Amino acid sequence: MEINLQEFFNSKPYGLDKEKKEAMLSRQLIELTEYHRKNCSLYKNLTDGLGYEEQSIHTYYELPMLPVRLFKQYDFKSVAGEQVSKTMTSSGTSGQQTSKIYLDRNTSMNQTKALTKICNDFLGNSRHPMLVIDTKAVISNRRMFSARGAGIKGFSIMGRDITYALDEQMNLDVEGIQKFLDRHKDETIFMFGFTFMIWQYFYLELEKHHIRLNMKDGVLIHGGGWKKLASLSVDNETFKEKIREVCGNVKVHNYYGLVEQTGSIYMECEKGHLHASVFSDIVIRNPRDFSVCSNGEEGMVELLSVLPVSYPGHVILTEDEGVVLGEDDCPCGRKGKYFRINGRIKQAEIRGCSDTYEQH
Amino acid sequence: MFTEQHLSEISCLTDNKEMLSGFWDIPVKPVFDERIMGFFQGLSKKLFADPHSKEYVDVLSYAYWIRKSSLEAVRKTYSKKRDFENRIGRGTAFHVAPSNVPINFAVSFTSALLAGNICIVRISNREFPQVDIICDAIKALFREEYSDLKERLCIIRYPHNDEITELISARCDIRIIWGGNRTIQTIRKAQLPPRAVEMAFADRHSLALINGDEYMEMLQKDGGKYQRDIAEKFYTDTYYTDQNACSSPRMVVWFGSRIEEARKSFWEALSQCVHEKYRLRPIQTIDKMSLAYEFATCHPNTKIEKKDNYIVLIQPDRLDQKLMDYKGNSGSFFEYSAADMEDILPLLGKSCQTISYLGMEKQLIADLVRKHGVKGVDRIVPMGRTMELSFTWDGYDMIEAMSRIVDIF
Repeated sequence: MEINLQEFFNSKPYGLDKEKKEAMLSRQLIELTEYHRKNCSLYKNLTDGLGYEEQSIHTYYELPMLPVRLFKQYDFKSVAGEQVSKTMTSSGTSGQQTSKIYLDRNTSMNQTKALTKICNDFLGNSRHPMLVIDTKAVISNRRMFSARGAGIKGFSIMGRDITYALDEQMNLDVEGIQKFLDRHKDETIFMFGFTFMIWQYFYLELEKHHIRLNMKDGVLIHGGGWKKLASLSVDNETFKEKIREVCGNVKVHNYYGLVEQTGSIYMECEKGHLHASVFSDIVIRNPRDFSVCSNGEEGMVELLSVLPVSYPGHVILTEDEGVVLGEDDCPCGRKGKYFRINGRIKQAEIRGCSDTYEQH
Repeated sequence: MFTEQHLSEISCLTDNKEMLSGFWDIPVKPVFDERIMGFFQGLSKKLFADPHSKEYVDVLSYAYWIRKSSLEAVRKTYSKKRDFENRIGRGTAFHVAPSNVPINFAVSFTSALLAGNICIVRISNREFPQVDIICDAIKALFREEYSDLKERLCIIRYPHNDEITELISARCDIRIIWGGNRTIQTIRKAQLPPRAVEMAFADRHSLALINGDEYMEMLQKDGGKYQRDIAEKFYTDTYYTDQNACSSPRMVVWFGSRIEEARKSFWEALSQCVHEKYRLRPIQTIDKMSLAYEFATCHPNTKIEKKDNYIVLIQPDRLDQKLMDYKGNSGSFFEYSAADMEDILPLLGKSCQTISYLGMEKQLIADLVRKHGVKGVDRIVPMGRTMELSFTWDGYDMIEAMSRIVDIF
């Protein structure tokens, strides 16, 4: 059985309405579920345990979800070991277990293709001079193919004259940035980086030294989560405002996504909404029974993507909470669901006597 | 001994920090001493009189446990034992209480005081209203008629500090550690004097055994009331503590020939009860699902059964000793239908604490433990009573373990 994604690549990334998208995604994801059941014994154990029967599934809303934590515990693979071309890890902070995602050539190629299609909707089809707000060291260290490195590599396809804004010690390379901007005076500048790093090593440094980059036309795409910035009370609006203050005329787009579903990211539109593309969808689940929440109702975030073929990461239950704001009717004109992420599910204090010593 | 720095890190909930600089010189008392009995009687009254107590079932059940008639009955039982007259405390008991069961620190010092000892109780930094209610009542008693006992019970908090733990440990005669295995390892690094004894209450697991035939028979006699009553009891054993107490069953084993009917009725009634009473938070759903799915992923032929996310049943195809390493809570249960009592033997290893039973002959369970010489199983209790307070815990008779006999020839 060969998984074919041509139909998705032939569609406009935000061009399908609810009915068409649901039919297409359901067909693909049900087929993908069968594929993974045949090719990944761990996944088969799990879905058998949940009583999975293909004939009783009609839409992707009924497919079993894999809790994201399981990628930290098990090596889920739907390809033979020798076909794995790279292993991606989430950049968990020290001490935490990291997810391991096994990619073959096809899956990683499809990830790049999907990412390009999604981003082109925001960047246009031509390649722009690109400023990566990070250090080259993340890429050159091949030993760890981290989500950070993968992100930079993936987005770099859409840029040219790729220039890194930080040196190996994470210091801002002001001179390098100036030279880069001088080379591309009247062009659209594409900037990419991770939210917290941009704030910490780029914005705060520029601000401290009263540097203004005065870009005439730029696009900044950034992702990686708001946890650290939320603790500094920096929200999306503040972030945008401050970036424009130091950079000039720059459109800022946040994106949301999982390392377990690299490629099919959710981009923030001009109206500030995150959008599902044709490659993926979001479903908000009620924590009490996993029923589907209505639009506007907060719940647990389930993410679906047609891209994971070398590993069964096509239907994932995340540990985030969010709200679907609407479908097919965002004022930005893009079709599909648009939503907001409210953050990580709160850790609960649970009663009982199993652990007693506070960690420090 | 303690430096100024140490003392400044320690906060005392009983207003008697000065005890720390001389607790080792305080004389011990005989077991069930009159003054100590009177103190608990006073404490019980104060707790019942405090309007705040009403909000906390665990404070009330503690107050009930230490009331006059209850402790008198316990003393009477002990008084029949040999050498009762010659039993006396060991010295200072250093208690390290757990951070998650608010009332546990009180259960711990109650046994130690009644056994004749002096108590230093370290409680966790986590704030619990139950702790404040009890400590306020103790302070009042110390101010009023029990000022003479003020040198015998000191309840403290301090941030993680090995030196303080070492200093108290070095001067104590009994150390009682409640907690996870990690806590025990950490505290054990602090040396005890050569003759001191230690009691460690580690991570345990518990199971429930149900005879489906008996259940169905009772159900047919009594109908809905029985069904509801059993659900309430099981709820108290499990959901009341988020299924996180060591005594909360994480495994339900069925026996008999009418298992399918019985389990259907049992879980249905529990489901109703849980929907009425339990607040399920999203993180609990994530934790439960992750655990159940994780188990099914690496154990082929496992079935997961759930109507919604309130009750998650994990049904393995066989019982083995590794099973109980999967520590689910907030309503995640392993479930198994056994053909024979001996099927459960793999679950009765060292870490097995409580077996609760329904419709089973308790003596048969006790016989199983003795016959096979299993290393676990410290309690066999009817369903609904796993949370009951007792002077016997984890196989220890607390009063005897914390006292000594003056042997007179």
